[in-house]
Amino acid sequence: MTIVSLRNVQLRFGPVPVLTGVDLDVGPGERVGIAGPNGAGKSTLLSVIATLRPPSSGEARVFDAEVGTPQAYEVRRLIGWSGHDPALFDELSLRENLYHFARLAGLDIAEADKALHQVGLEAAADRRARVCSNGMRRRADLARLLMTRPRLLLLDEAHAGLDADATAIVEALSRRTVADGGAVVMVSHDRQTMGEHVDRVLTLREGTVVP
Amino acid sequence: MSKPTPWLRALQVFASVAVAVGLVMALRAPVDAFQGEYARIMHVHVPTSWLAFLAFGITALGSLLWRVRRNRRWDRLAAASAELGVVFTAMSLITGSLWGGAVWGTYWDWADPRMSTTALMFFVYLGYLALRRTTDDAEAAASRSSLLGIIAVVQVPLVYFSVNLFRSLHQTQSIRPGGATMPTEMLVAMLVNLAALTVLYVALLATRMWVMRREEAVTIEPAAGAGVVPPRLEEVGDG
Amino acid sequence: MSFARQVAEFCRRDLLTERRAGEVLTIVTPFGAVALMSFPLAFGIDSALVSRVGPALFWVVVFLFTMQIALRHSAAERPHQRAVIALLGADPFARLLGRTAAAAVLILAFMAILFPAMLLFYSPDLPEGWPLALVPGALAGIGLAQVGTLAAEVTAGLRTRTTLAPLIVAPLAVPLLIAGSQALESLASDGGILPWTVLVVATDLALAVIGAAIARPLEEASL
Repeated sequence: MTIVSLRNVQLRFGPVPVLTGVDLDVGPGERVGIAGPNGAGKSTLLSVIATLRPPSSGEARVFDAEVGTPQAYEVRRLIGWSGHDPALFDELSLRENLYHFARLAGLDIAEADKALHQVGLEAAADRRARVCSNGMRRRADLARLLMTRPRLLLLDEAHAGLDADATAIVEALSRRTVADGGAVVMVSHDRQTMGEHVDRVLTLREGTVVP
Repeated sequence: MSKPTPWLRALQVFASVAVAVGLVMALRAPVDAFQGEYARIMHVHVPTSWLAFLAFGITALGSLLWRVRRNRRWDRLAAASAELGVVFTAMSLITGSLWGGAVWGTYWDWADPRMSTTALMFFVYLGYLALRRTTDDAEAAASRSSLLGIIAVVQVPLVYFSVNLFRSLHQTQSIRPGGATMPTEMLVAMLVNLAALTVLYVALLATRMWVMRREEAVTIEPAAGAGVVPPRLEEVGDG
Repeated sequence: MSFARQVAEFCRRDLLTERRAGEVLTIVTPFGAVALMSFPLAFGIDSALVSRVGPALFWVVVFLFTMQIALRHSAAERPHQRAVIALLGADPFARLLGRTAAAAVLILAFMAILFPAMLLFYSPDLPEGWPLALVPGALAGIGLAQVGTLAAEVTAGLRTRTTLAPLIVAPLAVPLLIAGSQALESLASDGGILPWTVLVVATDLALAVIGAAIARPLEEASL
């Protein structure tokens, strides 16, 4: 079973076409990179794959659930997404943020502590997210994904601005996902760096994906 | 700097004794024929009103000095004094309201400009304290609040002279050039309380500034990066 | 995680965030008190008029300021936060209810502080048995929390959020304003609070049903 299956997916923002006919298949164990310049629609494509935005036309299926239908809500738990904006609540500490996500995911909060330990944020875990550097916030965001173990990992500009240790965390996360039978879809404007971390690289050009 | 200095301790003790003495004098002072025992509220109300003015004046001075010298000490002075000013203003409003309710039958009178202007001054300085809280950056907090501290002090003369400017229910100043308008014993008791609460203000101000110095010493953590260690990727299993 | 525990989790998060940000108690509430003070200053010194209109003006201030409370910065969720929460599988109605509960706590606290301030500033002649009016009053506060939270959700992510939200939902809150203010009037004319309580309960229930029906579409629209 393919994990992601897009057929002639089109999406418009009002009169502006963003995706003009995307075909894409991603199967278990695959790590796919999609490169493109800023404004090409990479994040928009990821939001379709994340089931968060239905296409204007065409068919998008994730874990065999059609995006934009109630079935898609059921598979969201299997999807994990990390972007350049870490989804942390500023007034909560890093630990409290992870505990919050753990509870919503139905996990024991011990998993949050374990994930913070794994990413090397144990000592800083009780600092409020607001006072943490962007690097620390992004590590905490990665800890969230380590904790929830998604089967489809979506990474938006995952390596941008990360140091070597944080990049290693992304790599470990990515490898574990595919080892679990899942898949990784990564988007970036930096084709070369991304190419070192995926099995194949496609290009998003003029609203469509080409090899 | 883990314990207060001997002089601070001495000041705290002296202030406690002074307040106790003032309280005793207030309870033993003669009372006004019309107001009866309720007149004793005056021995708290008048000093707290005066101290609110003093505190906000000190806040303005500290703010101005910070802008000129950029020394943390002046910002601590401004902030600590503003906190005390808010407390004394609240005490002034509460005692004034109780006094008014007991003597004039109304806890709040819109015909009294001093009540309204004092309440508005209270809210402005609540805003000053809220402004200081909105950022963790001490420099940014000092910079913004110092400007507000300098501007907001214009309310002090407005409140003080509102009683003269508008005919009102409130007493005009009890002590004016040319002599006081109350009996000597009552005046002495009030002046002793005024002095005692002023000493209390100084003691509380010094104490609060000492606490702020300690808080700053504690919150200057190791550099942010010290909280981040290399990840333990060997613990991130393969399934 | 069960529905009830999700509701509690969202409520807890919002209240903890607000406790640390301190917007409602240290900024909105004092501003509400200043607003209460501003009416008599504008009316001029007319004690009879001031004491007559006090309770009604209290409700006007509550009606207008609950929007500020529901739209407070500490409650705003960024798009990526909303996306992550949706992907965690959180029930959108649980999220809406939890956030509404937090807003209700803050609004009731706001009302509890401003009510004595109104009594002090306006010295109204309260009718016999006036504490009974607290029942529809509190229920109206809960209704205002529902309205405010719905407004915040409808306008989530929009740049005109803080100005648009009050405009589009204020009409929905008018029954609550009327019920809250008229309950006291009704007691004064021996009318009892029952009709107004029924109105408030009906409005609150209707808002809850609306919230349940649109929670998912609201979430989808804001992702």
